[in-house]
Amino acid sequence: MSRAPVILSFLLLAVLGNAFSPENPTDRKILVLLDDLSIKSSHSLYFQSLQTRGFDLDFKLADDPKIALQRYGQYLYDALILFSPTIDSLGGSLNAAAILDFVDSGHDLILAADASASDLIREIATECGVDFDEDQSAMVIDHTSFAVSDTEGDHTLIAGDDFIQSDVILGKEKIEAPVLFKGIGHSVNPANSLVLKVLSASPSAYSANPKSKLSTPPTLTGSAISLVSVVQARNNARVLISGSLSMFSNRFFRSGVQKAGSTINHEKSGNEQFVTEISKWVFHERGHLKAVNVRHHKVGEADEPSIYRINDDLEYSLEIYEWSGTSWEPYVADDVQVQFYMMSPYVLKTMSTDQKGVYYTSFKVPDVYGVFQFKVEYEKLGVTSLSLAKQIPVRPFRHNEYERFITAAFPYYGASFSMMGGFFLFSLVYLYHK
Amino acid sequence: MAKSSAIKDAEALLRSLRSAYTATPTNLKIIDVYILFSLFTGVIQVVYMAIVGSFPFNSFLSGVLSCIGTAVLAVCLRIQVNKENKEFKDLPPERAYADFILSNLVLHLVIMNFLG
Amino acid sequence: MAASSDTVTPSSLRLAFGNVFSLFILILIGVLAFSIRIFSVIKYESVIHEFDPYFNYRVTQFLTKNGIYDFWNWFDDRTWYPLGRVIGGTVYPGLTLTAGTLWWILNSLNIPLSVETVCVFTAPTFSAFAAWATYLLTKEVKGAGAGLTAAALLAMVPSYISRSVAGSYDNEAVAIFALVFTFYLYIKTLNTGSLFYATLNALSYFYMVCSWGGYTFIINLIPMHALLCIVTGRYSSRLYIAYAPLVILGTLLAALVPVVGFNAVMTSEHFASFLVFLILNVVGLVYYIKGMLTPKMFKVAVTLVVSAGLIVCCAMVAVLVALVASSPTKGWSGRSLSLLDPTYASKYIPIIASVSEHQPPTWPSYFMDINVLAFLVPAGIIACFLPLTDASSFVILYLVTSVYFSGVMVRLMLVLAPAACIMSGIALSSAFGVFTRSIKFASIGKQADAGDNSDGVTQNDVVKPDRNEEHPKEKASRKKKKEKENVEKAPIATKKSEKRLLMLPMEASVVAILLLMLLGAFYVVHCVWAAAEAYSAPSIVLTSQSHDGLHVFDDFREAYAWLSHNTDVDDKVASWWDYGYQTTAMANRTVIVDNNTWNNTHIATVGTAMSSPEKAAWEIFNSLDVKYVLVVFGGLVGYPSDDINKFLWMVRIGGGVFPHIKEPDYLRDGQYRIDSMATPTMLNSLMYKLSYYRFVETDGKGYDRVRRTEIGKKHFKLTHFEEVFTTHHWMVRLYKLKPPKNRIRGKTKKSKSKSTSTSSKRSATQKKNPWQ
Repeated sequence: MSRAPVILSFLLLAVLGNAFSPENPTDRKILVLLDDLSIKSSHSLYFQSLQTRGFDLDFKLADDPKIALQRYGQYLYDALILFSPTIDSLGGSLNAAAILDFVDSGHDLILAADASASDLIREIATECGVDFDEDQSAMVIDHTSFAVSDTEGDHTLIAGDDFIQSDVILGKEKIEAPVLFKGIGHSVNPANSLVLKVLSASPSAYSANPKSKLSTPPTLTGSAISLVSVVQARNNARVLISGSLSMFSNRFFRSGVQKAGSTINHEKSGNEQFVTEISKWVFHERGHLKAVNVRHHKVGEADEPSIYRINDDLEYSLEIYEWSGTSWEPYVADDVQVQFYMMSPYVLKTMSTDQKGVYYTSFKVPDVYGVFQFKVEYEKLGVTSLSLAKQIPVRPFRHNEYERFITAAFPYYGASFSMMGGFFLFSLVYLYHK
Repeated sequence: MAKSSAIKDAEALLRSLRSAYTATPTNLKIIDVYILFSLFTGVIQVVYMAIVGSFPFNSFLSGVLSCIGTAVLAVCLRIQVNKENKEFKDLPPERAYADFILSNLVLHLVIMNFLG
Repeated sequence: MAASSDTVTPSSLRLAFGNVFSLFILILIGVLAFSIRIFSVIKYESVIHEFDPYFNYRVTQFLTKNGIYDFWNWFDDRTWYPLGRVIGGTVYPGLTLTAGTLWWILNSLNIPLSVETVCVFTAPTFSAFAAWATYLLTKEVKGAGAGLTAAALLAMVPSYISRSVAGSYDNEAVAIFALVFTFYLYIKTLNTGSLFYATLNALSYFYMVCSWGGYTFIINLIPMHALLCIVTGRYSSRLYIAYAPLVILGTLLAALVPVVGFNAVMTSEHFASFLVFLILNVVGLVYYIKGMLTPKMFKVAVTLVVSAGLIVCCAMVAVLVALVASSPTKGWSGRSLSLLDPTYASKYIPIIASVSEHQPPTWPSYFMDINVLAFLVPAGIIACFLPLTDASSFVILYLVTSVYFSGVMVRLMLVLAPAACIMSGIALSSAFGVFTRSIKFASIGKQADAGDNSDGVTQNDVVKPDRNEEHPKEKASRKKKKEKENVEKAPIATKKSEKRLLMLPMEASVVAILLLMLLGAFYVVHCVWAAAEAYSAPSIVLTSQSHDGLHVFDDFREAYAWLSHNTDVDDKVASWWDYGYQTTAMANRTVIVDNNTWNNTHIATVGTAMSSPEKAAWEIFNSLDVKYVLVVFGGLVGYPSDDINKFLWMVRIGGGVFPHIKEPDYLRDGQYRIDSMATPTMLNSLMYKLSYYRFVETDGKGYDRVRRTEIGKKHFKLTHFEEVFTTHHWMVRLYKLKPPKNRIRGKTKKSKSKSTSTSSKRSATQKKNPWQ
């Protein structure tokens, strides 16, 4: 019985290793589940962009009874794309729990819903912290920032341009054109720190059934509606949830866009750029950090001690690299901090960097003994969180490390020695005085 | 009146004290000098501590206690070798002195340990 | 043997024979003291017992491995996480150094005993030493006969056995020896006036300081005695020699022990000795001057000095009182204060009051622990007053103070035991002296040369009859003892004996002796029973006798072994502090709090976590980097000292620091209960949940055999903790803190959220539970 966890953790390690090997975190093998195979052609631009980036796509029908994510405890894929918004039950052994397990073991997921998304899809989204509008037939409607089209529609084709301000998630290049979106909206809990709204609706948007008249105020309104969200789980698995499947489609990729009320007519919508950039992020081609070579030692020494003494001067350094999709590049930032922590941070220092990935600092151990930790908690929007803690005890002075021969104490020393001398003298006098 | 009589009394007291003291043997007097010396050293240290503060407290403690200890041990020796003291008739002075040395050794060893 | 007393031999031969005989008896007493304490090894196994001994054992291991300097500077990062503990500076090193030295000596003699074996047998060895020290002490007070009796009594007094059975590797094991030996040397110095013994006394006091916090008892008792002597006009130069060097050398030596340090001069516990030291010096000077002057001149001097001196003294006392009063606790540490004011601890320091051995004892426990000695003690006191010497007054003072202290704390019954043994030894020996003498005189007629009960201090025969009146009623002894007595009396007797003025009729004496034998037999039977049954349980292995045979509960070691094999070396284990020492020593895992209760806040934090609902507790534990939580649960097998029974203390201690924990919330109408009437706060507390999680699965009803009731809440799930291990009899349950959820769920609640939640649960457990 006692062996079981050991074996299991080995398995888990192996599984994890398959997904993001620490050396090569980008996903390689992707399972794409489709409602029907026509999506494969209607969304071919997107799939092609993935394939050209080196991903190995495996298309399956979502109700194919032979699909399986894992075999013999090993996951067969590194990521999953769920382009099957209407499916009610997946084929094979797959179900919502299996997909969530897939995510919880560090794999990535792209999930696209659509109007009339099935309960299964909604459930997966909910588990990831994204709540689709409960009204099955609701769509996001926006009467002010819809995309101008030839036919006067019901304003469900939205031109969204309220992007998240993050170079890491959306790339350095600014997305000029609005993104076309047609689908359902969702809300995220603001307290949920793991979910990020990547594309939010405009303040005038609301979520309702476009076919019927509004009888009650819509539950989801304004910029609280998120159109596209990403989730970075605590194990750094990344999930993209979009309320629109057509956002990925060739048609939207190619079509031009003009936002209502705006005079600029973009030749091409921002969809391709947006979707490509965000899938780079989801598949760990960007914003994936690793910290290596954590070192600390006393000033002037090279070896790492097992224990420090109070008031020691020490140097601490580590290297942080970012995965670029093909190789590890030095990560440059000026806001990496290290704490010397025991129940509360005793020392908090921002580390200097040499621009080559090495961060270093030096400080004095506080005058308190105990079991401290070097803590680096680096959490920045979009990048994988770094949380390093290294335990190190700090001891008080040894008995022979206290100050000796204090000047103020010389009279006492003198007195003690004079007593000794006096004793000697006294012995002589006393014994020989006769 | 009362004052002058008190002074007179004190003078008489001092006189008789001195006369009584001159009768004590020399070896006891040596011990007395030794005791006074150590007490004096002790007092100096206390005064010094009062001036500069008690920072190396262990040093202060060992300095003062070494003086007091020396004095106390010397008093013990004095009691034992005093021939007038009936309680120690059987105790040879050599034995008393050997004990005294042993105690002093222990005392000074401890002081050395505690001083730094 | 009795015949030897009748044979008329040259006194030197008799003396030599007596000496050899008493030596032989002493060796036997040593063997007895040792062997009566190894019941635990025979009945169970050679293991360290209970809680504190495990810590001492661990420290000893460290000492033997790393040497004394590393031990002295040892900073232990495996306890009190994350504060750590400076072991070298907070531990009384006497016991560990003793055992370490023993082990070192044995090893250098090529006797390869393990450290554990040495530790297990340290206590019995030292109780033999303690018996011998008692012999010496009593011999100084009342002669060899009383000494042997007292030694034999001490060798088997249950109170002492309870703390010194093999495996009970605790400070008291060596401290009682040190205590008695220090007293012996003090009395010896007092009787001889030798500076040599005074030095030895200081060294022995040093050993005591090293060994046990109870050394303050010595440093208050001896000044008290010195003061008593001065006040009663018994000042002598010997008193000066016995006392003055002890104070100076003792203070210096005590200050050398890191754990005492400057406390030796800074806390009020020690002030009495300095005050008496001053008084003694003044008195000594006065006596000296008095000896030099004529009475008339002395009177003059007195009037002069007294008038001047009074003013100075008053000023001094005022300053001293002001100084002491200005400090918040009046300079007394909590434990000492609770000695003087028994209600102090329960009022202010729940952590002291929570330890059962700090409670006042009950009357039955006196009978249990010192048995018939309790009745012999008054007789011993009377014997000590006949005549009153410096030594016997000291013993009386010792007894009186220790009776008081034992009334305050059960634990200090241990200090009372030697005093009671000495007193009883004196009483018995005097009684036997009278009876045997009566018999002898009756048998050999009017012969004048009779053995006198000659001691260091010659007894006055005239007063004997008084004692005889009461002795037959209440005296007791051991069979062995009487024979010794008979032998003892005669050989040491001096020729210059006096005539008996009064003696008892022979028949009465014989009957009395028989009665004493009977009582003695009773004492022996009781002691052996206590040693074998009551005090030998190691408390880490429990047994119970039921109709279908003997059950052994070895759950504690099972759990600790699981911890040490299945968890990471640096994992932190949280438990109530009782189990801290064992966890570090047996499982080698870091603990948050342990039995060295030095940081009340830290303990209160753990108490608060145990009393909080799951989520709050998880947050507290997580902030302390805790990985596992250990609870002790006795409800299945009826083990009463489990965590649920200690839970109110956790609430109290936690509430003392964190006011949001309120004791009334856990009580229903002032009653502590865990059945269906329990308060919701109680039923939702972490301790309740961890103790009773899945408990209903054992018998279907959830019947708690300790509380004798069905538990209040039977079916519940844990959200932030998961069970990782439960021992065979459910006595120790280990839980692991679940890691934070990988994802945060959305808040949508649907009609079919049932399926959602179950699947989420499943996914969570699948991933995180290593026990699937």
